[in-house]
Formats: sequence, structure tokens, C-alpha cells
Amino acid sequence: MAFIEIQNLFKRYRKVVAVNHIRLEVKQGEMLTLLGPSGCGKTTTLRCIAGLERPEEGDILIDGKSMILGGFVQPSKRGIGMVFQNYAVWPHMKVYNNIIYGLKLQKISKQKIRERAQQVLELVGLAGLEDRYPGQLSGGQQQRVALARALVRNPKVLLLDEPLSNLDAKLREKMRFEIKSLVKRMGITSVYVTHDQAEAMVISDRIVVMNSGNIVQIGTPLAIYEAPANRFVADFIGTMNFISGEIVDMPRDSDTVYVRTEFCEKMRCRTNVIADTTLGAKVNASIRPEDVEAFTEAPHAGENLFKGVIAHKAYLGNFLYLFVTIGNSMIRVQIPHHIPQEEGEELYLFLNPEKCMILR
Amino acid sequence: MSRGNLFLTSSLWLIIAFLVIYPLSILVLESFKIAGSTGWGIHNFLEFFQDTYYLKTFGNTLVLSSLVLLATTLFGIPLSYILARYRQRGKTFFTALILLPIVLPAYAGVFAFVIFLGKFGTLNLLLMDAGLIQKPINWIYGLHGLVFIQSLHLLPFIVLSLSAGFTTIDPSFEEAAEVEGASGFRRFITVTLPLCTPTYLAGAVIVFLWPFTDWLTPLILGQIDFLPSVAYINIAYHFTDMHRKYMGIVAVVISSLVCIMLFLLARWWVERKKYTGLSKGTTSEGRVIEPGATIKFLSYLYMLFLAALVLLIPIVLGLAAFSRRWVFEPFPTYWTLDNFRVILMETPLLLQNSFVFSGLALIFGIAFGLPAAYLIVRTRIRGKDALDFVITLMLAFPGMAVGVSYLLAFWKGIPLATHWIIMPLALFARRLPYFLRMAHSSYLQLDISLEEASEVSGAGKFRTFLNISLPLLIKGVLVGVVMFFIMAFQEISTAIFLYRGGWETLPIGIFLNWHRGMEFGIAAAMAFLMIVITFILLLIIARIGGGILKAAWGPGVR
Repeated sequence: MAFIEIQNLFKRYRKVVAVNHIRLEVKQGEMLTLLGPSGCGKTTTLRCIAGLERPEEGDILIDGKSMILGGFVQPSKRGIGMVFQNYAVWPHMKVYNNIIYGLKLQKISKQKIRERAQQVLELVGLAGLEDRYPGQLSGGQQQRVALARALVRNPKVLLLDEPLSNLDAKLREKMRFEIKSLVKRMGITSVYVTHDQAEAMVISDRIVVMNSGNIVQIGTPLAIYEAPANRFVADFIGTMNFISGEIVDMPRDSDTVYVRTEFCEKMRCRTNVIADTTLGAKVNASIRPEDVEAFTEAPHAGENLFKGVIAHKAYLGNFLYLFVTIGNSMIRVQIPHHIPQEEGEELYLFLNPEKCMILR
Repeated sequence: MSRGNLFLTSSLWLIIAFLVIYPLSILVLESFKIAGSTGWGIHNFLEFFQDTYYLKTFGNTLVLSSLVLLATTLFGIPLSYILARYRQRGKTFFTALILLPIVLPAYAGVFAFVIFLGKFGTLNLLLMDAGLIQKPINWIYGLHGLVFIQSLHLLPFIVLSLSAGFTTIDPSFEEAAEVEGASGFRRFITVTLPLCTPTYLAGAVIVFLWPFTDWLTPLILGQIDFLPSVAYINIAYHFTDMHRKYMGIVAVVISSLVCIMLFLLARWWVERKKYTGLSKGTTSEGRVIEPGATIKFLSYLYMLFLAALVLLIPIVLGLAAFSRRWVFEPFPTYWTLDNFRVILMETPLLLQNSFVFSGLALIFGIAFGLPAAYLIVRTRIRGKDALDFVITLMLAFPGMAVGVSYLLAFWKGIPLATHWIIMPLALFARRLPYFLRMAHSSYLQLDISLEEASEVSGAGKFRTFLNISLPLLIKGVLVGVVMFFIMAFQEISTAIFLYRGGWETLPIGIFLNWHRGMEFGIAAAMAFLMIVITFILLLIIARIGGGILKAAWGPGVR
């Protein structure tokens, strides 16, 4: 059941199109992430849901109620909670007053307000700090204040705009899990905006990948990583080797295609959901660095086995990272073990056909 | 575009139209009227530029402007370098002192120097007593005195703008020049100074325009052949002589034109020339150097000299204020509180008028300025840039132009000038940019997400303004309020044309007492009182804004 429905949303700033007629549904209790590079329209979409921006066209339905076409609903009337990128914790109010600000605007008894505030403070782990001013808190604590403030009114929808981007790396990693379990426990429908793919993978039920105002792909973290819709998604989420070529053979009744590349006549790949796979089509044979296998000596003659020269070799602790040239192509390789070869020496790469996909 | 914002802009535009655009266009129209007929034409302007006398006043004013700019620049470059770059004790103190003239009324300085440097002033008498000179030296009556007094008053503007440049230049620019082999003076000339030009220009324009607006200083020094002084005399004394009246109006229009054009030119140039990377200072104070002993000594001496000149103003006025019959003596001998008795007991109206008019102007200012700042910073409403532009332009308009135009516009058709409300209204219109700029800049610093967070939490726009924006803006707004009050309190150029019996303010009282030549002591006491009140208000700003330095620097930040 769609709890938030975005219908044909269009927004531009003067001549620049920020959001280009997108459609999107968020299910009840779902944690959805809008992911994309800066300027892709993810924040604008979020701000349209919040009512902080007015779209030129389209409508947004929250819990079945129109927010725009049925008369513009002010942000104050949408019943949402929002966490801002810079927290936006009011510096002139104590933590407690920051949190109960929204509650005080409702007709609730003082007793109830106090109880509710206490609950939320404990939930986010801020109990005991209610009399501090934001200036006396660390970045992480301010972040929790912003979260508490957003949750205190039991919002129908929680919006989070890159809430972790101002924290240091260690804290960021910890907070991802905290936010996820908190929101899941409360069962709030939430929309999360980030440009950090790892964050999106951890936190989301589904990810919406956006680019220049358009939605490129929607799917679970697994689906998006394993079967990216195109070159942009594959490149943005994780790392991918692209070897350009053209389709030369497609055996019937199999999920296999053969691609002629710059260094090989027939490279075997697995087909994926790309519809218009036709003979002669220009495609990218693509494989992730961790799916490439490296061998010191040729293991056995077979398909997708190539001899290359190590251009760069870097030891990164938990794995080895190599740049290997085959012909004029540069293949990135990530292997979990050591190899004796040094830069400039030869080795064999096996581009596993099961992991080789074709992308546009 | 919401209905509320639309209503707000249209009301602000109505006020602007009524209090700025209408009177100023009447002034311009009037300058095209041909005396003694109903005709129109550029007749007046032709006459003005064909008359060798008026042409001379125009030339004189240009010469004065150039000399003042030259003097302030020559004295300002080393001073601002010292203040911005050298690490030394008492820097804050010296800075505050040297910047003081910004907040002192210009006429206070003139009176002080007339007493101290006049023909039989303290300095001449001391020198003659010591037998160093036989006849008194003419220190100030003449172009040289005018340049000296105006330069001292305007030096802070140059210092502010130059040291702003010196502190905000990315240190790596200069370090790069050093690495490339340019050291010391050469680096300063080839890298540092050129990088400062945009900020310097902002101050230089204020300085250059000043002689086109200051009618009082030349008048007191007996030098009337300058554009604003001639305009004042023609309009204030010869209103019945049609020819002289129109020449006066033309002089006002020409001064205004010069001011506006230079102001716009500088603005345009600064915008165009903004060097990229200029704002990326790595430290908040920029490059600070520990000077050598000799340099340190010399720089102290230099600062001390300039600070002493500034300090002379309140000291001399204080001496004159607490004494009577101070003539032909280097220092007063008869001490009394009589001057203050006269001001406070016999003519309390002046002080009362000053407070009432400035207070009312202030209330108008807040009622206008806050919504205007909100519209300009927070909305995308059409016409807001034009609103900002018109208000900012008032910075460049000579006070005299406002006064004369009000006199012309609100006399017949709309007879507002017969009611005392014209005084606070004129003060409000004249000083409008001061408050707006301050509210504007504090609004810019207020992160919009703080307001959005409140709206998302369920508060409407108005409640958000009251609960979130106003408490966070209040510091900047209060500083703006006090600054506005100081400026309105000291205002004379507009008020002098509009006051009638019973509406005199303190500055007008000072002028009249000097003018009648009777009670120099009372004029000095009034000026001293003015300085004391200004100083108290500055202390209040310092309390709010943190630091006397900021208090003194505030008005320069436009």
C-alpha cells in the first residue's frame, strides 16, 4: 500500500530543471532512500514532500491526501518530522525546549508533554542533557536532538536530509545502524536523502537512484548492486570495469551473449534485463573488481581468460588492489590474497562469465 | 507568491514612493523650471555652468574631494597596515580611538578645531606665549584647514576598507610572492595593494563624495565657495531671490548626481572586480607580523599622533562646555556648569525634540526595515531587488537633497511640512539604509533551515518569525537600532531645511548658537553632550554586539 505517492513531480529553478516529472511510491513503514550525486534532484524531491518547495507540476499524496493539487498544504500542517543536514537545532533554546517546540503548538497537557519528551530523550540517548544549550553539545549529540525533535510528535512521515554528512566517519557508521533500528522500531514511513552509497545500502529497504532530475532505478540494495540498470548506476554504486564492445553472438534459449571487445573476439557475458539486446549493439561488458579472479599461471585454457600486465599494485590491508592492462583496456582487480608479481609483470585474469554483465 | 508577501511589498513600495521617489522627483522637476515663467527647460543648468562663480564652486569641490581622498589615502595606508598586520599591545584601544570620528558628528570636530587651532586658539596662544612665533599662524581657515578637518573625519572609512582588505587577503597570495622572490615593499606594491583595491574603493567613494554633501564645515571655516555651501546659502537665505534659489536647487541636484553616479560606478566596479579566492582566509585574523623594535616604535608614534588628534575633539569640547568666557587664553580659567543649566533647564525642548524625532524615526525604521529585510532575503518576490536598490541608493543621497526636496514637495500640494511629523519622517527616509543593511546582514547569517525546522514542527510563518527568527536576529537588529538612533540623533543636513520655531533639535541648536555668534560655550556644551550621548549608546552596542571595536566598526560595514 502506497503511503506517500509522488505523481509526475516537476520542479525547476529559473531555467534549471531540478526534478523532471518523477513518479514514486513509498510503502507504509518503508525506509526509502533517494541516492544520487549532488544536483540530481534528491533534496528537492524531499523538500517538496516536506512542503518547503512548491513544485510547478504534479502532486504528492500522503496517506491518500493531496498536498498540492487539492490546495497547497503548509509544511506545518503535513504532520511530518524532518532532520536537516545541518541539524537546524535552535541555538537560543535548551535541548528540552528544542524538542518540545512542536508539541507545545498542539493542545496537549504539560504533564503529557513532559512524559513524551522524556520518552524520546531516552530513545535517542540524550537523557540528562535536556538543560544544555546546543552550543554545549557535540555534533553527534546535536544530531540526536534533531532526531528527537523530528520524532517527538509521532509523525506519519520522517524525512531525513543527509543527516549524517556532518559527522566524522566512525560516528557516521554507528549512527546509520542506530537510525535504522530506531525508525524500524517505531514503524515510521521514512524518506532518506544521501549521496553516500554505503549509507544508502545500510539504511534502506529500497533505494531510488536519481540523476539530473530523473529516477534511474528503484530497487532493494541487493538488486541495485547485483543488477544495475545502466552504466551510471553501476558506476555510482560500487566500482565497475567497463569494457566497450559490440554484441556478436546470442545463442538462442540461453542467457549468454558474446561481445567483441578491443582485446578479444568473443567475450562471454550473462544477459540481464536490458530489453533491446540485438546483434551489433554497442554495449559495455562490465564486471566488478571483486569478481575478477587473478592467477599467477594460466590455470586452464577457457573462455574469458586473459593475459595482462600489472600497471599499479596497492596493498590495502584486507585486500590487494591492482590495475591491470589488457590491450589498451585498464581493468581494476580486487583480490583477497597475495600474488608474487610486481608492477610491470604479467598475470592472468579470469573474467567470470556468470558475473560479467552487459550495460549501456 | 503568497498574498501576505504581496501585500507587504506593495505597502513598502507605497511608503518608498511617497517618502523617497515623490519628493526627489519634485526636486529634479523644480530644477528644470524657468524662473519667472511657467516654462521648462535646461535653462537653469546652462546658466549654472556659464556663470564663472558657480563653475568655480564646482571646480573647488572637485579639488577638495581629490585632496581629501589623497590625504586620507596617504595617511590611511600605513595606518591600516599597522592595525591589520602588526601584533602589538593596545591595538584594540587605538583602533577604537582612530575609528571614533565615524560616530562623531562632523560639526563637533569643526568646533573643537576652531577653538584649538583658531586664530587665537589654544595652539597659537601657547606658541606665542613661548615666544616661538610673533603673529598667530592660520592653521585652519582656508583650503588646507578644510582638507585637514574633513580628512580626519573621513580617515576611518579608508582605514576600515583598507584593513578589511589587508585581513581578508588569503595569506598564500603574499607567501607566493615571497617565494617568487618579491620581498617587503615590492610585494606590498605589486600584490597586497592591488588585491585590496575592491575594498579600498568602497571606502574611497564615501570619502570622495563627502565634500559634495558637507556644507557646514566650509561654512564654519568661512569658505563658502563649495557646491553644498553655496546651495545652502542660496536656498536658506535667498529663497525669495528666484535666480539664486534656482541656482541653489541646481547645485543640490548636481551634487546629488555626482554622488549617485560615483556610488553606482564604484558598486559596479567592485562587483566586477571581486577577486576570486579573496574570501578564503586561512586564519580569522589573516597575516599578522611581529614588527621589529624600530618599526614598532615608529608605528606607535604614528598611531599616537592620529589618536591624539581625534582625542582633541572631545577634550576641547569638554573644556569649552564646562567653562565660560574662554577667549584669548590657552586654557579656560572660569569653570561653570552654567552651559548645561541653559541646555537642560532653559531650553529642554531641543533635547526633547531630538529624542522624540529620532525615536519616532526609529520606530518607523523598524516597522519598515524588518519586513523589507525579510522580503529581500527570504522571498523571491518580484521587485525586491529594485526595493533593495532604491533603499541602498539613499546612502549616497546628500542629506541636503532630502531636506530641500521635502521642502519643495510637502509645502503646497501635500502640506506635510507644516506639521512637526515631517521631521521624524525625513530622518527616517534619510537614515533608512542604516537599519536595513544591519537587519539584512543578520538575516543573511540566519540559516534558513532553522526557520524551516520550525515550520515542519507545526508552526506557521508568523509564529516562526516570533519564536525563531526574531530571537536569533535580535542582536543584529538591536545594533542596527542603536546605530540608526545615533545617526538620526546627529542628523543636521536634512533637518536644517525643515525645522520651524519649536522644532529645533540639538544639532540645529549647535548650529544656531554658533551662527548667532553669541554663545559659543553653549554650542560646545551641546556638542559635548551629543558626544556623551553617542558614547553611551556605543557602550550599549558594545554590550549587545560584544566589544567596543565592533561597536565602532559596525557603521562602516555596509
